[in-house]
Amino acid sequence: MSEKTRLGKIFANGVISENPTFRLVLGTCPTMAVTTSALNGIGMGAAATFVLIGSNIVVSLLRRFIPDRVRIPAFIVIICTFVTMIQLLMQAFLPSLYESLGIFIPLIVVNCIILARAEAFASKKPVLASAVDGLGMGIGFTLALTLIGIVRELLGNGSVFGVNVLGASYDPMILMILPAGGFLTFGLLLGAFNAIIKKLDRKRMKEAAE
Amino acid sequence: MSLRLSTAPHIRSPRSSTRLMLNVIIALMPAAFFGVYNYGVKALMVILVSMATAVLSEFSWQKITQRPVRIRDCSALVTGLILALVVTPETPWWMIMIGSAFAIIVVKELFGGIGDNFLNPALAARAMLLASWPSVLTTHTAIVSKFGEVDAVAMATPLASNLEELGIKFSYMDLLIGRIPGVIGETCKLAIIVGFVYLILSRTVTWRIPAFTVLSAFVFAWIFGLDPLYTILSGGLIFAAAFMANDYTTSPMSSYAQIVYACGIGLITVIIRKWGSYPEGATYAVLFMNLLTPLLDRYIPHKVYGHKKTGEVKAQ
Amino acid sequence: MKVTFKRGVHLSYANKNATKSLPVRDFVSDEVRIIMNMHIGAPSVPCVKKGDHVLLGQVIAEPVGFLGIPVHASVSGEVTDVGTIPYLGETPVQCVTIKNDFKDEWAPLTPLGDVETVDPALIVPAIKNAGICGMGGASFPTHVKLSPKPEQKCELVIVNGAECETHLTCDHRLMLEEGERIVDGLRAVMRALSVERGVICIEDNKPDAIENMRRLCATRSGVSVQVLKTKYPQGGEKQLIEAVTGRQVPVGKLPIDVGAVVCNVGTCAAISDAIRLGRPLISRITTVTGCVKEPANLRVRIGTVAEDMIGACGGFSEEAGKVAFGGGMTGLCIPNTDIPTAKSTNGIVVYNEKDAKSIDEGPCIRCGKCVAACPIGLNPYLIKRAADADRLDEAARLSVNDCILCGCCSYECPSRRWLTASFKIVKQKLAAQAKAKGGKA
Repeated sequence: MSEKTRLGKIFANGVISENPTFRLVLGTCPTMAVTTSALNGIGMGAAATFVLIGSNIVVSLLRRFIPDRVRIPAFIVIICTFVTMIQLLMQAFLPSLYESLGIFIPLIVVNCIILARAEAFASKKPVLASAVDGLGMGIGFTLALTLIGIVRELLGNGSVFGVNVLGASYDPMILMILPAGGFLTFGLLLGAFNAIIKKLDRKRMKEAAE
Repeated sequence: MSLRLSTAPHIRSPRSSTRLMLNVIIALMPAAFFGVYNYGVKALMVILVSMATAVLSEFSWQKITQRPVRIRDCSALVTGLILALVVTPETPWWMIMIGSAFAIIVVKELFGGIGDNFLNPALAARAMLLASWPSVLTTHTAIVSKFGEVDAVAMATPLASNLEELGIKFSYMDLLIGRIPGVIGETCKLAIIVGFVYLILSRTVTWRIPAFTVLSAFVFAWIFGLDPLYTILSGGLIFAAAFMANDYTTSPMSSYAQIVYACGIGLITVIIRKWGSYPEGATYAVLFMNLLTPLLDRYIPHKVYGHKKTGEVKAQ
Repeated sequence: MKVTFKRGVHLSYANKNATKSLPVRDFVSDEVRIIMNMHIGAPSVPCVKKGDHVLLGQVIAEPVGFLGIPVHASVSGEVTDVGTIPYLGETPVQCVTIKNDFKDEWAPLTPLGDVETVDPALIVPAIKNAGICGMGGASFPTHVKLSPKPEQKCELVIVNGAECETHLTCDHRLMLEEGERIVDGLRAVMRALSVERGVICIEDNKPDAIENMRRLCATRSGVSVQVLKTKYPQGGEKQLIEAVTGRQVPVGKLPIDVGAVVCNVGTCAAISDAIRLGRPLISRITTVTGCVKEPANLRVRIGTVAEDMIGACGGFSEEAGKVAFGGGMTGLCIPNTDIPTAKSTNGIVVYNEKDAKSIDEGPCIRCGKCVAACPIGLNPYLIKRAADADRLDEAARLSVNDCILCGCCSYECPSRRWLTASFKIVKQKLAAQAKAKGGKA
């Protein structure tokens, strides 16, 4: 297997087969909280992706130097650094997004996806693979959040990315932008995503058997 | 000669699942007729659309997921009918369709179908509609002037907070016979009670949960300084007690657990009415106690004959 | 005041109407097949051989062990076979076949005289020698019930005339026609146990029986009638004790531990015969009903074959789908009608093809009707779930072993689930498991 396809596999792994939101069900707190609109979903996803890539690279670089017993505090410190960076950057350049995401930006520090990838992947693998893993996971997270955000914004507000698409006659389903709607959308999409993956897997198994 | 062999009992109660569901439908008829009588064809349309959608969604879901189709047990019809009776006659057809499909597919089928849902489907759908389109569901038009007096009372149910400003006063008799604005099936308490008596006589349900629900609401209302009689006669409390609180799947099994459950509904209803921002509490009270049902079943089972103390039912 | 137990079910007793006003009719067949394990406990051992001539009431099998009782010839005539026949269980049982010579020559009897004057110490041995076991269905040897350990003190004798089962009217007719034998038997039991109080318990759907028994009790000391509410399983031993005394028999204990002894009305009548006339148990009243042309309460000799009894009732009125020994709630199906009745066979019920058709199980709708019905206080729907998944330990934790197999849950289940049937299997499996474990240890 060439290096390129290996990295491609790591990337696809993060986006689809181990999608942090729909397959690993990690980081559900920001998933519920910020996905009231598609834009919020993208913003949150992008911030998390930045932190993921950065922390994965640094953790991977330092993997031989961090003593095993203090690895979690060490990871947290690394993650904190990147979170602070993105927080300040967003505050400076995207103040409105920063406002709407609020507390969930600093909370990226304790986002399980980031800590999980540091622990399960970056602390054992070389730098390039870790960076690709961070990118894949980040994109997967972003896509999932955006998808949930689109559904909720569309039904709950009649718009997508702030653009009204369902027309003025649409009576928005307010439930969808309430927390209950978040749970409903998340649950239904989670079920649908897994049903599709299962079906594809079965198909692939069948083909392999033939 | 070949004889069949089977284990006892050789006789079965005439009350099959389908029969029980039909009994519930029959029991809901007085309330439904009253609604149609009051609000005319649009109420009938809401009822028919809701029932049809419920059956259709159950049928298609079971077909799509390749499960045995069980629409013959009529439980979807019951869900559709109950949902129709707890919305206003002004509800648009598409909204009632969404509600009905939500009740069947999301609340009932996704959790395993009949017997496995943890919330009352019709009530969960009502809560969903209420959260999604609050203005539509809480706008009550005046009933057609059947009684001559109340056609001016638009948009004020007996639980509205601005009754005094509007200078409206409902008598107990108005509340009892349904001379009030409200949703299709909840207004006439007399029709509901007639249906409920049929449920009891046909041994479809027992009296325990509804009786304790109403009784506890009466007592708690009195304790909290509300008018107890007005509390139980207004809003959907009686309807919820008679047809929703004792929904088979989502209410507890043992008699002691049923009493706790029913008193919980009464208490929460009164709390929501007294301090909550919603005018009506019965829906949320029943839904909340639905969630506690597995716990109640587990911790308050019947005492087993000849055993010393009530044991916790550990298997789940 | 009418008393009852907790929960249970209200059945329709319309099916009793066919026979409840019919006087008991004698029926003697020309052959009887007497099986050796009519009682709980080790089967008796035949002491006659093929070709022997036996007299009515002669001992044809000797008791074995603590729970054993002798078996008597129920007709006079020639023993035509001593062998095994298939019976309700999986294993064949030993059986003595006697050809009736219709002479009814009694073997020598030793009557003890009036129950009020007989030496109480002689009563229990006489009951044992008469081969009497519980005639309500459980077939527990009566003399064992009447021999309490020194630390057990009996305070009350309960006579079970509830007859809460559907279809059956044999006890009802017995109370109406031969009530004095019941009271007599009850007095004998009371004297044997030196108990001051005896109650005859009758459900309130049999007012004529209540009246008759009240009349008969008025002249005897310490006996009275207790009216029960009509509810199934009122005649279950544990439920009856709960209704009458308000006490529950603790798990693993016997009724005598709460100071009560329960006897069926038929058992009492048999005890009376054993004391007064010295006669062993050779006949009983059996209700034959359902799809037979002339439903009847037949007094038959022990060992009469079901086929003959159905014949005596005019045969099937329509094609039979299922025939069961016992009433609608607990009756045991028989594979064919060539099966003899026993001391505890209180009825033969013939079901037509429509009623016999097996019912498909629907999904549990969690309606709770089984929980509301269970007289023991179990959670049948949970036990069924454990049973379906073959999780025996979980079923045991849910107290499946306390189940009395009364059938209430299955009767009430709107989804027609086979609750009682699966509990029976689970109980058998658990018993086998316990036995295997005990064997190892």
